[in-house]
Amino acid sequence: MAAPAIRTHQLTKRYGALLALDGLDLSVPAGEVFGFLGPNGAGKSTTIRLLLGLARPTAGQAWIFDTDAADVATAHRLLAYVPADVALWPQLTGAETLGLLAATGPGVDRAYRDELVDRFDLDLSKPARTYSTGNRQKVALIAAFSTRAPLLVLDEPTSGLDPLMELQFRRAVAAARDNGQTVFLCSHQLAEVEAVCDRVAILRAGRLVDVATVPELRRLHRTEVAAHFAGPVPDLHNLVGVDNVTQASGSVRFTLTGPPAPALAALAAADLTALSVREPSLEEIFLDYYGEATR
Amino acid sequence: MTSSTLSAVAAGSAVTRLAVRQVRRGALVILAVTVGMSTLVAATYLRTVGAGLDAGALAALARNPAIRTLFGEPVALDTAGGFTVWRTGTVLAVLLSVWGVLTTTRVTRGEEDTGRWDLLLAGRPTRPALLGRHLAVLTAAMALIGVTLSAALIAAGTPPRGALLHATGLVLTGTLAVAAAAVAAQVFPARAGATGAALGFLGVGLLARMVGDGVPVLGWLRWLPPYGPLALTRPYRDDRWAPLLVLVLASIVLAGAALALAERRDVRDGLLRPATGRPPRRWLLHSVAAFAARRTLGPLAGWSAGIGAYFLLIGLLADSMTGFLADNPRFADLAGQAGFAGLGTVRGYTATLFALLAVPVGAFAAVRLAALAAAEASGRLTLLLAGPVTRTRLSYAEVAITAVGMAVLVTVAAVATWLGATIVGADLALPAALAGTWNVLPVASLGVGAAVLALGRAPHAVTAVGLVPTAGGFLLKVVADSVEAPAWVSGLSPFAHLAAVPAAGPDWPAAAVISALAGVAVLVGAWGYRRRDLHV
Ligand SMILES: Nc1ncnc2c1ncn2[C@@H]1O[C@H](COP(=O)(O)OP(=O)(O)OP(=O)(O)O)[C@@H](O)[C@H]1O
Ligand SMILES: [Mg+2]
Repeated sequence: MAAPAIRTHQLTKRYGALLALDGLDLSVPAGEVFGFLGPNGAGKSTTIRLLLGLARPTAGQAWIFDTDAADVATAHRLLAYVPADVALWPQLTGAETLGLLAATGPGVDRAYRDELVDRFDLDLSKPARTYSTGNRQKVALIAAFSTRAPLLVLDEPTSGLDPLMELQFRRAVAAARDNGQTVFLCSHQLAEVEAVCDRVAILRAGRLVDVATVPELRRLHRTEVAAHFAGPVPDLHNLVGVDNVTQASGSVRFTLTGPPAPALAALAAADLTALSVREPSLEEIFLDYYGEATR
Repeated sequence: MTSSTLSAVAAGSAVTRLAVRQVRRGALVILAVTVGMSTLVAATYLRTVGAGLDAGALAALARNPAIRTLFGEPVALDTAGGFTVWRTGTVLAVLLSVWGVLTTTRVTRGEEDTGRWDLLLAGRPTRPALLGRHLAVLTAAMALIGVTLSAALIAAGTPPRGALLHATGLVLTGTLAVAAAAVAAQVFPARAGATGAALGFLGVGLLARMVGDGVPVLGWLRWLPPYGPLALTRPYRDDRWAPLLVLVLASIVLAGAALALAERRDVRDGLLRPATGRPPRRWLLHSVAAFAARRTLGPLAGWSAGIGAYFLLIGLLADSMTGFLADNPRFADLAGQAGFAGLGTVRGYTATLFALLAVPVGAFAAVRLAALAAAEASGRLTLLLAGPVTRTRLSYAEVAITAVGMAVLVTVAAVATWLGATIVGADLALPAALAGTWNVLPVASLGVGAAVLALGRAPHAVTAVGLVPTAGGFLLKVVADSVEAPAWVSGLSPFAHLAAVPAAGPDWPAAAVISALAGVAVLVGAWGYRRRDLHV
């Protein structure tokens, strides 16, 4: 089997008393589009900085295609990165910046770069000083995608893009996937994650909470059920996996987590006239995850 | 008071506190140097100069154009106060004004360029109010330095009138520099341009004063701010206050202009706007080292111009200066005590002044490495370091390019001195000049070593640490010699181990040891830089 694009073992980062990342074990197989989610301050950017060797782990280790992440001369031949805040040399124009990054980076597909410049509609003649947040992000995205590197590490790459550009971004990710490239995408745009990611990991307060495909997450999480009855409404309060029960005359609403059999058995025993089941949106799933700490 | 004026007051004082926090450390250092140097010279006057000066010697000194050009017109050298003004006045005026310029552009334009002012401006303060508060804080810092200085000079026993006048003159020079930098910060599109223009203004002012001091028919040049009027006040002799009016008026006009212009431009944009689009200039972008060279070229041109102009002047004055000192051995002795020995021959004179060159060349190195640290802090290095570029390679590339820049600077100094000396017919061969300036490279490279060490351990302090071996070492040597400290104290300074080339041959063993120390510092610093977290 091919080496995973990213592998970490007990990766830990401490900033003084603050444990920013706590023993992360993660493996992202080559060719996957992997979403990395979590509330603000969860440790996502910290993980990425460790993967890129920009910060040193307090404990543990990370590998990029089986190369130690600390060996940046080798590891960085295999990846391209878009930071959350893109800072460019203010006096260089977009074209000059792309030229510099192509010359010092892992390589460049010039034809594809020109195509991306067109698609992202970026004026390369302007000095970076005059670029808006979105335009700086476009420069970094074009530089990253045009490397055709086997691994793309993207930290909130679309936070400054308008919806049209966001669409172009999704196309570029899809093209990368078709190429067999791996994408490690950290984002707060759940619709985007849902649209492009094969699997997602959820990080909270430095710990990995869950890694799953999007449909799996759905299954694992609260399905909303509404049932209507001709006769008396059954009591569901003590069933496993059933929460948030609200009863009205002749109907009940509740959320269901885990295997549905016990709840369905209870419903079937009553005089059920209608049943509607709604899967949660990804957003609801994450509100669940993110909110757990405060509940 | 209504609640809205109350909160306006609160917002204003919050800005003031922010400004104070950003300037206080530098202000304290400048205060310590200013007061320390002045007190030291005034307090040791009797011992070092004392009664050894007769009227004839003083008159000869006051007439000599070379002395007047380099050190300013000597006034009241027969008093401790007057001697202090002459020995330290120009240096301190330059120190205060350069600090004023650098700090002003840093806390106004620099903060604005990072986007931090956007947050402040979204709140209550208007742009002129924000700028005004910062200028007020800097002026207050200058005033504090002045008050302490005059108190110290009075305590050292010099007459209060002269002490007050001298300190006020220095304060006004610093304030004027702050105001000029504030104007430049409105005009230029970024901090670096504003700093360069304001420093250029100071350079022209210094040149005007030197020429005005040295050439009697051009004496009117000394009315030009910021340094000339200081010479006209003649503290401890004539105590003239009127010339300071020029500085006051110029400061008010410039500060007013800065505040008015602040409203007329966009945030993070100067009044001068470079074209918003241009064809790409792809030279020197093909590697990390090439890019380091590209970033160094502009600053190197500026430093070369400054150093070249100064050493051209040194060359032009060679004949007149050495002739004077040969005729007046008492002054040659005095100069020797202050660390300037052998000024009586052209080779001795140039050797002494070439030693000074280690200070600006070391400063150049410190500033270049500080620029690398600043690029890291602002996140500009992140994309480069996300490529297959190790931090070791990045730092070595920067060090190599900086070293080339230093070699260029000392070569420029040699050629300029030789040119000046040749014009006036002084006896200085180009190879001798080159040997003299290249001789300071090991000492200057200690500045590189210290700066790289700081890059690895304390990246926010690269400039300060980088200046320790050169500027700090020079100061240590001068002070130690002035107070006749035990030999090991001045022996700590690298300048104690610098041979007087071209008057003497180079001290190869010392040069080798110093270079080795610098090399080790670079290795250790680069190792630390590779291992630490990137500070973004
Ligand atoms: N250089 C640093 N020094 C100290 N603490 C830090 C540093 N960098 C990050 N942290 C802390 O580590 C924690 C994780 O930060 P990180 O930037 O990884 O969060 P994140 O998941 O990327 O959040 P966001 O979604 O807001 O980008 C935060 O509490 C942050 O304050
Ligand atoms: Mg982040």
